Amino acid sequence: MHFVEYELQAIAIIWMIILYTIKAIQLSRLPMPWEKETKKGNPTKGVLLSYASIFMPWSVESSRDHFWRWFGFALYHVGCLIAIINTFTFTFAPGMMTPTVKIVFSILIAPAILIGFLKFFRRLIRPEIRHISTPDDYFSLLSLQLFFFTGIMALLVNTPFWRTSYYIITAAFLFYVPFSKISHYIYFFFARFLTGKRYGWRGIIPQNTAK
Amino acid sequence: MIARKKVYNELEKRFNRLVGTSATNLCTHCGWCIESCHIFKATGNPEHSPVAKAEKVRKVLKRKHDWLSKIFPKWTGAEDLSEKDIDDWLEAAFKNCTLCERCVINCPMAVETPQLLGAARGVLTSMGKSPEILVQLTDAAIAREKNMAMMEGFFRKQIKKLEIQVQEKIGDPTARIPLSEEADILYVPLSGVHTMLPAAVIFNMAKASWSMSLFEASNYGLFVADIPKAKIIVERILKEAERVKAKTIVVTECGHAYGVLKWEAPKWFNKKFDFEVKSILEVMDEYVSQGLLQIDPSKNPEAVTYHDPCNMGRKGGIFEEPRRVIKAASLDYREMTPNRVENFCCGGGAGMVACDEWQEDRLLYGSMKVSQIKDIKVSKVVTACDNCLHQIKELGEKNELDISVSNVSEFLVNALVYPEKN
Repeated sequence: MHFVEYELQAIAIIWMIILYTIKAIQLSRLPMPWEKETKKGNPTKGVLLSYASIFMPWSVESSRDHFWRWFGFALYHVGCLIAIINTFTFTFAPGMMTPTVKIVFSILIAPAILIGFLKFFRRLIRPEIRHISTPDDYFSLLSLQLFFFTGIMALLVNTPFWRTSYYIITAAFLFYVPFSKISHYIYFFFARFLTGKRYGWRGIIPQNTAK
Repeated sequence: MIARKKVYNELEKRFNRLVGTSATNLCTHCGWCIESCHIFKATGNPEHSPVAKAEKVRKVLKRKHDWLSKIFPKWTGAEDLSEKDIDDWLEAAFKNCTLCERCVINCPMAVETPQLLGAARGVLTSMGKSPEILVQLTDAAIAREKNMAMMEGFFRKQIKKLEIQVQEKIGDPTARIPLSEEADILYVPLSGVHTMLPAAVIFNMAKASWSMSLFEASNYGLFVADIPKAKIIVERILKEAERVKAKTIVVTECGHAYGVLKWEAPKWFNKKFDFEVKSILEVMDEYVSQGLLQIDPSKNPEAVTYHDPCNMGRKGGIFEEPRRVIKAASLDYREMTPNRVENFCCGGGAGMVACDEWQEDRLLYGSMKVSQIKDIKVSKVVTACDNCLHQIKELGEKNELDISVSNVSEFLVNALVYPEKN
């Protein structure tokens, strides 16, 4: 149990960090056609807005016109964030995991399970989404469901079975994540920076009048 | 049989950080981009969604660069390049995408689908698989410089005739169209008179130090992603600007030409130019705000709207300048929704207008623009790009919209008040 709870988690996290570092180095070595012309706008604001737009559903048509989809996306990612925080606190800071914190964490993670199923069925039902879906898409969604579920069970039930299950699932998850589409949360920072900088430089964003 | 090694080599040449990032697991296949695409909206075909089009290129890049895809390609949807992929790329990158970037701003991850499809365009061109007409237009532009000695005399005669029209229009016998002479501004038109005459009137009315370029701004090298050729086409304008000691290159109302000269060329040549590059939209806006032009908006009484060309707006950052000019020169300005950075492509961009064989598809892809125009009940659409101009004219005829279409400078010139006519 001790190995699963500590050493295995540490190995998995180090593994993930090493792989992401390699990937980051690979990407940063690729040539980048930076803007050369005098800037028309503000690239710093462009980058900030590029990151912030994800929290501003009114600013982007795909969120504004599909608010509930965005809301589900937001709840899902809050659940992800809490579940990730939990992997550290549950293992390495058990002192802070009071019953109240555990309940709050569970309440925040639970909606992600429901939304995860909705995402899964949407992927199956809508032809244009099914058309582009790969086995990794389905597997990543389901593995996250398992991660959330065992996380909640470990928080609330906290029997050796659920704790061990949670640790094993978490470790497996961490080993798999760098290879899967779940990695988007890392690439997001690269992509949003590059696009935001270009759009800001050219004065494309911020804009104040798009409807 | 395709020369697979050559394709991979060409793809690798274009594998920069933008393409590389968008070819990773950045895309979660969430589908948020789907409804943002005017082509998908027009056809409803899952193959036409931005993500589906990007995936055709991404799957090949992932097979080569993604760890998991190298071992278990089927798991991630990665595939080795096949003969069919080349045909698919032609459809996805040329026929079914106008590189408008509307999907980029609607993607929560900022996946740069047009960068992936642009890379595919470049690969297809290197293999001789790009639409022939686009390649011919690129080559014709290059040939023009080679035959410049022969062409110049004829061009000067034509410009002289145009100069008389300008003099008559503004009632000033001293008005001129200087051709490739020393001046502060080098104005680069297209081959059509509609990009020369109004500009000449405006520069003369504003008493600007200007000269017209011997070359046209249009650069089809961009559409076929043939950067070496695109550079040749740009370079002659840059050399001319140096020769005439221009402080500013002013690009006519042509979306891609503005994008090339303003944003892309400095990257291709890896340097900041000694002169500024502006669109004539910015120059007109300056003249109007400085009161250099006398305007009577009642000369344009009809309901009018402005269509943002993607290369000017979403890719170029010009949104308010044309609006200020049009509002100053009209009585009834109406805004389409959505507009500016969220505007819908007209469906004719990225070379589509030149490809006759895709005319039917192109007019279908303009469906969103048609409904936008219908919604606000205008009789005139003003835009700032020749491709958009032709496309919207055709959309208007096909859909019986009863509209006229013009560029911004023509619209402004129509509202000008000439001193002797006061």
